[in-house]
Amino acid sequence: MIQPVSVAGIYSPPFRIVSKYFIASIFSFVILNFMLLFNYHSITGHHFQPKILSINHIATLGFITMIIFGAMFQLVPVVLEVKLFSSFLAEIQFWIYSTGVILLVYKFWNFDSSLSFLFPALLLSLVMIIFSINIILSMIRVKSWNITGTYIASAIFWLLITALAGYFLSKNLDKPFIRINHLQYLNLHAITAYIGWVGMIIMGVSFKLIPMFTLSHGYKMTLAKISLVIINAGLLGANWIMHYPETGFYTKIFGSLIFIGFVLYLIQIFIIFKKRIRKKLDIGLKFSAIAFVLMGIVSVLNYSFLFFDYESIANLTIVYGILVTLGTFGMLIVGQMYKIVPFLVWYHKYGSKVGLEKVPMLKDMFNEKLAEGQLVLMLIGIILSSTGLLTKFYLLVLIGFLFLFLSSLIFAFNMFTIYRN
Amino acid sequence: MVTKEITKEDVIETLKSVIDPEIGLNIVDLGLVYDVQISEEMILIIMTLTTPGCPMHGSIVDWVQRIVSMSFPNKLIDVQLVWEPRWTPDKMSEEARRQLGI
Repeated sequence: MIQPVSVAGIYSPPFRIVSKYFIASIFSFVILNFMLLFNYHSITGHHFQPKILSINHIATLGFITMIIFGAMFQLVPVVLEVKLFSSFLAEIQFWIYSTGVILLVYKFWNFDSSLSFLFPALLLSLVMIIFSINIILSMIRVKSWNITGTYIASAIFWLLITALAGYFLSKNLDKPFIRINHLQYLNLHAITAYIGWVGMIIMGVSFKLIPMFTLSHGYKMTLAKISLVIINAGLLGANWIMHYPETGFYTKIFGSLIFIGFVLYLIQIFIIFKKRIRKKLDIGLKFSAIAFVLMGIVSVLNYSFLFFDYESIANLTIVYGILVTLGTFGMLIVGQMYKIVPFLVWYHKYGSKVGLEKVPMLKDMFNEKLAEGQLVLMLIGIILSSTGLLTKFYLLVLIGFLFLFLSSLIFAFNMFTIYRN
Repeated sequence: MVTKEITKEDVIETLKSVIDPEIGLNIVDLGLVYDVQISEEMILIIMTLTTPGCPMHGSIVDWVQRIVSMSFPNKLIDVQLVWEPRWTPDKMSEEARRQLGI
């Protein structure tokens, strides 16, 4: 029997609020690539050093988490068919968050002793709490739950753990009050941030967006469910054993769980792509497909770190960081932004004109050829800079970062074109 | 003056002008329109989307309502969005399949 669906109550925040997050993220992406280009000689050695931490935080907070916040405010209401709890909180969160990110990146860059780590860390922790409250209070009203919702709920949990670990690290770096191994806590902070927060969000949302954009049908989501459970189990275990000495055996067990979880996720994504009806991949999906291949490479690399002394290979952790941040997450985010931003702008500008006048198609909103160029530049930039770092051939690193910077400018130009449409 | 009676085919022809901006195909060829019922006062359109939780959820309903209202101003228009039966690719027309390269 046909049951009508009510569309009442589905409500995303105003376009201007989501746009702020998107524009700030695009801006951060360009700044990030600019910082890499003009400091290519500093991006070497151990990863726990000021310049690298500064660049890493403009990437994870300014670019990646900024876009995730904006996208969540837009997607949670439509994907879970529920009204966002508060647009006002989404708005004020943006200003507190932007201030916190700028101060933290500045502090890491200069290690300015007049500015405490605590203030930006406090602002960012406050934002994580505001965001979590806003999404949780929206999600408790969800009537029909789906797997994307469960992934998002897990991500929120790990976001709070990431913020807690980050705040604890900042407090101890500021005025040491407890003898801890900072590197150990940095690892905990990074694992929960990259896998728990960013990874879970990206996985959950991809199960909704990729089938929608590829018109994929007729597959089971069993692997997605198993992946969710075992990655969470692995993360919980990793967080738990981090507090004990001599944990090599358990680290391998929990690391294996996370690795298997990622493999299952990628198989699920492969199945979705295989079952797609739209055979031709547009630019957004090409970026995404390459990001998934890179995710496979990164997962294997990450898992191998459990079995050998990765510090012995020069710059390997830096290369890993580039492959994760720009390769996997960067490519996936850029790809999805080529799908989501045109739609949001199109809907905002032309939604009310449908039927009254001729309106453009989404693919007409930006120059796809230019975006193809961006994809090539970004991929070559990642390959060259990674190869240069591993072989300590720094001219190659410079050329690679130049390619990446140019690709970020093309991206910014294309996004600007969409907004100006 | 004799007013021509509105037929289901008239409404479906009008619905062909509602294009999914992402896919670039109209909602009729995509197989999203399940039924059109016409009564003396009202036109009822029962339709779906390719996937629940589509960001165009509310907007496509608005567009359908607007475009059909403009073509048939003397009728009340009701659009009901349903998820059952679920949309499947075999609901697409030959033309849509050809354009998607299936």
